[in-house]
Amino acid sequence: MLSLGADIREDLTHTIINVRYELRKHFRRKRIILAIALALIIPMMFYIIPKVRNVDFASTSISFMSNSLAFVSYLIIISAAMFAGDAVSGEFEKRTALISLSTPQRRSSIFIGKYVAALLAVYAIIAFYFAIVCIEVLGVYGLGGIPEATGKSFLLCLLYASAAVSMTFFFSSILKGVMTSTLLSFFTFLMILPIVTVLLQVGNVDPWFIVTYSAGLMTDVFVQEPAFSGGEGGRNRAMNAFTQSTPNFTVGVEVMAAYAIIMFIIAILIAVRKDVE
Amino acid sequence: MEEIAIETRNLSKQYSQGVLALKDLSIKIKRGQCVGYLGPNGSGKTTTIKILTNLLKPTSGQAFINGIDVNQFPKEALRPVGSLVEVPGIYEYLTSHEMLSYFGKIRQMSSKDLDRRIKEVLALVKLSEVEHKKIGSFSTGMLRRLAIAQALLHDPEILIMDEPVIGLDPKGMKDVRDIIHKMLQEGKTVFLSSHLLNEVAETCNDVILLDKGVVVSSDSVAHLISTKKGSKIDVSFLRTLTEEQCKRISSLDTITGVEPLGDQIRIIYDGKPETSSKILAQIVGLGVDVVSFAPQKVTLEDVYVSVMGDEKGVG
Repeated sequence: MLSLGADIREDLTHTIINVRYELRKHFRRKRIILAIALALIIPMMFYIIPKVRNVDFASTSISFMSNSLAFVSYLIIISAAMFAGDAVSGEFEKRTALISLSTPQRRSSIFIGKYVAALLAVYAIIAFYFAIVCIEVLGVYGLGGIPEATGKSFLLCLLYASAAVSMTFFFSSILKGVMTSTLLSFFTFLMILPIVTVLLQVGNVDPWFIVTYSAGLMTDVFVQEPAFSGGEGGRNRAMNAFTQSTPNFTVGVEVMAAYAIIMFIIAILIAVRKDVE
Repeated sequence: MEEIAIETRNLSKQYSQGVLALKDLSIKIKRGQCVGYLGPNGSGKTTTIKILTNLLKPTSGQAFINGIDVNQFPKEALRPVGSLVEVPGIYEYLTSHEMLSYFGKIRQMSSKDLDRRIKEVLALVKLSEVEHKKIGSFSTGMLRRLAIAQALLHDPEILIMDEPVIGLDPKGMKDVRDIIHKMLQEGKTVFLSSHLLNEVAETCNDVILLDKGVVVSSDSVAHLISTKKGSKIDVSFLRTLTEEQCKRISSLDTITGVEPLGDQIRIIYDGKPETSSKILAQIVGLGVDVVSFAPQKVTLEDVYVSVMGDEKGVG
């Protein structure tokens, strides 16, 4: 038997190997092309359409930036579903679990590796999206055009992506089919949670605990007032159809972090206990 | 080192649908043994193998590899094991080399050893020419060979295989048989389930017959065959026997039964060579013209049928 230290080192090595091979999977499949295409085309539209129509760009770089980022939540949801949807269910549905789970490594090393790889793939797509938007801002507004809140927005996007990946990973661990877990993730983020949010608001209940509501912070950070104090919301609220009011910044961050951590832990606990029948 | 390589103690498994696949199963496989695991469909063979390879958790009881509880310490227990369970899916986006590299790295093989072993095992399963080709384009037989290569990559001390020759052509079956023989010569332990009884008879020294999750027989192949009652002799005659001649043959004291077999008859007797010789003399003495007199070897299939009954196939 290995000593505790050696055992942990070995687990870590296994996790890293799994991350590498899972990333290789993501980058070799056609879905990466779709994600990159979306990350390229969506922000490019905000540059190309005004140029083609010969209309002025937004008056400030902040407006341009927040307009361009209004759709980043969709990209996050699509990427999370594509990269994490098959993380657990795929192993069972495609019967690769028969070969991978009978090796001398902890199941947690395999599934944590898959989770981290999905997270890195989604982060890479978000980074690419932000890079495109920043290049556009530099092109239109010059070197000083990048808004101060860009970094904060980027970090919030990564946090929301973590929550989305964790939720998708959870669906993948409880369901048997890849398609089911991927679709359930889509519908949860694009329909179910937004509908619940609206219904809660209709009932005059603050939907602070709904992660898609917290996602509004990703663009709200560009709005000075009254974005962080709750209330009516920023100028891009109309484009982000998820919510009608603005989440509190601290609470929103905590909610997204809580979804990311709790869903990840539950998913791992379920995945490592699954029988390969 | 433990004398017992594989052991199960009172192993039971009930699936969520309520099916009881194993009932207090206790088996022991000694180091260096090759044991065939036989039984009809649903007898619990794959369930046992899945528990031994940590793919399933038992409802109760324990499974051990080299004395280490597989369920409690899977990482340690599975270190010396190479396994092939059912028909696994293979990562189609990888090449053969990349897939084997993954499993080698997980087993902490050094890069030098790994490259050497990948070439060796791919040559062993006749896949050298597709080492750097994507697995997605492979045929079923090639996938099966690659899965076998994966099981052999780290030169395992214990090989556990579930239907290893399924999907292979006759040459592939022979290759697998040769690999197993080589492993046995090196003192390794092999535990395999197969529906091909002849494969098991040619490969394994011992067999465990399982039915409804319970061991119904466990012995060496040679002993099971030698103790099998009711050996057969197929006899053909120059002219079709009359009813009277048939009756006279059936009434011989050396014969326990006669079955018509087309133009021939099949005689059931005690299997002793001296009895066989006496039967021949007795039939000739009855004045019938014997064309051929062919005592049949008892096969593992005969043993299987006699233990399990005619209606149970090997699954």
